[in-house]
Amino acid sequence: MSEATLPSQPIEVRFRGGGFAPKARRWVGLFVFVLLIGITEIGTRQGWISSLTLPKPSDVLATFGELWESGLLFKHLIPSLSRLAVGATLGASIGIVVGIMIGLFSYVRAGMVPLVAAIFPIPKIALLPLFVIWFGIDEASKYALIAFGTFTPTVVATYGAVDNVDRSLIRMGQSFGLSWLSIVRKIVLPGAMPGILSGLRISLAIAIILLVAAEMLGAEYGIGAYILEAGSLYDLERLFAGVVILSLLGVILSTVIGFIERRILGWRA
Amino acid sequence: MVTFNRRQTMGLIGAAAATSLAAPAIAQNKKIVVGALRFTSHSASFVAAERAYFQEAGLDVELRFFQAAQPMAVAIASGDVDYAVTAISGGLISLADKGAIKVIGGAVSEEPGIEGQKILASDAAFQAGLTSPAGLDGKKFGISTAGSSFHYMGSKVAEAEGINMSFTPLQKVGAIIGALKSGQIDAWSIVPHIAKPLAGSGAVHIIGNVSDYLPNYQVTTVFTSATNANDERQQTSDFLKAFSMGASDYNSAMIDKSGGEDGVNEMVDLIHKYVYTDLERAKAAPSIINGTMRINEGARMNIASVQNQLSWFQSEGLIDGDITLDTFVDTSYVETFEA
Repeated sequence: MSEATLPSQPIEVRFRGGGFAPKARRWVGLFVFVLLIGITEIGTRQGWISSLTLPKPSDVLATFGELWESGLLFKHLIPSLSRLAVGATLGASIGIVVGIMIGLFSYVRAGMVPLVAAIFPIPKIALLPLFVIWFGIDEASKYALIAFGTFTPTVVATYGAVDNVDRSLIRMGQSFGLSWLSIVRKIVLPGAMPGILSGLRISLAIAIILLVAAEMLGAEYGIGAYILEAGSLYDLERLFAGVVILSLLGVILSTVIGFIERRILGWRA
Repeated sequence: MVTFNRRQTMGLIGAAAATSLAAPAIAQNKKIVVGALRFTSHSASFVAAERAYFQEAGLDVELRFFQAAQPMAVAIASGDVDYAVTAISGGLISLADKGAIKVIGGAVSEEPGIEGQKILASDAAFQAGLTSPAGLDGKKFGISTAGSSFHYMGSKVAEAEGINMSFTPLQKVGAIIGALKSGQIDAWSIVPHIAKPLAGSGAVHIIGNVSDYLPNYQVTTVFTSATNANDERQQTSDFLKAFSMGASDYNSAMIDKSGGEDGVNEMVDLIHKYVYTDLERAKAAPSIINGTMRINEGARMNIASVQNQLSWFQSEGLIDGDITLDTFVDTSYVETFEA
């Protein structure tokens, strides 16, 4: 038999663990951006990307510079930021409260979950004319639209997070004789916090998306109004300058949430 | 059942993408696409299509309908539509500046003696004393977007009256009507077939005519892609010829009433196939008749009015100040006049 003839040598086992763990690669993200913008710049300069297809990135930068110098940037940015702040705070805070209530009380859950599921898929933009009748053409309708849009994803993320709190921790709290309020305060809320914060990332991005929709009606100033005006004038430089501002807003908000996560969720480490 | 492996599927997707990309290019040789809105102001195209004027000119025309002028202009720039009629707007001029489109003729214009576009006031503002455009100082004027024809008209009225108004962008005509009815904006200007029924309901009031401020205002123009204007001269002049015949029929039936009451009815029947199709004939007819405005004979164009509009867009900083009339308009196709 062949088995008998083979001497029982120790087989060298290569280490096969490792990988599948994302590592920080600092400059790659920046490199991708620079590469794409570089290609666009060269293409638009040499003419194989027509001025109808994409604007020159350097022109977009120049437009941005003009915005800054003329002071128009803040004239547009401040109303937008205040709409975003008021609308998103309103929608997210009510959403978190409702979400926690759904997570804690079965009656609230039975009543609200179908309602939220019914509201979620409604395109809030389609309701815009109605919002104007309900809340008027001024700031209130813009706050309402953004609040309404951030409310539903926040609710869903929040009650999902409350549901995912480790039940064994709750049982342990009960067996140590903690009161209901103590359990909610010391176990449920901290346990749900990671899920709530990652839900906020999504709802705040939706708030930025809705900013443009909110400024469709009756807004003279605002980043959304600026983008819409540029679109209707087919002014690609201004359009892209506005879009870049929205992207930056998104990056900033995401960074802020990341910072909050590190502060509040320090216990995870 | 036919099954595909991954490679075949990718091949199919690629082939599908290639054919759909190639299709418009093939279509251009055989037939042309004319963009239109379902407005009476686009009647010249409808008449030319219904009475086979396009066919006689050797053009196989497909009418494609749009909800708004802006996407239609972009469709011309992308080559999906060959010819269309729309109001002059900042967006149209910007597209021309990028070498995508050219204005080649005139369509609807204001004419003294013919009821044209109306200036409307909301009921609340009217009751508070806004009974003529002179009282518009400090009021809110509804526009679709900055650089639209509404913006131009409002500005010109304000300029003539020596007053200041604020402009409220509301994107869509429906939203403007809603805001006007509920008194959230004070005034607006719009074509007669929308203005008159609104005024009839009592929710808004007509306080003036645009033609008092902008006599001979060249409201809409015929435009096409720069490629068509430069390289397809025969096709373009054929189109304009057929379009003019449609315009001429429309004017003589609806304005000069050469065919009498029967002529009007016949024209209304024709237009009703395209406009207000969701309303029955009896309800649609008054709106179609109310919407009557003269379409320039021979697609001639009031170049002075076009220049005035171009200068206004530039003075407002809505478009590049270096754009000249020549980049925007190709005057070689139709007769131009200054009024």
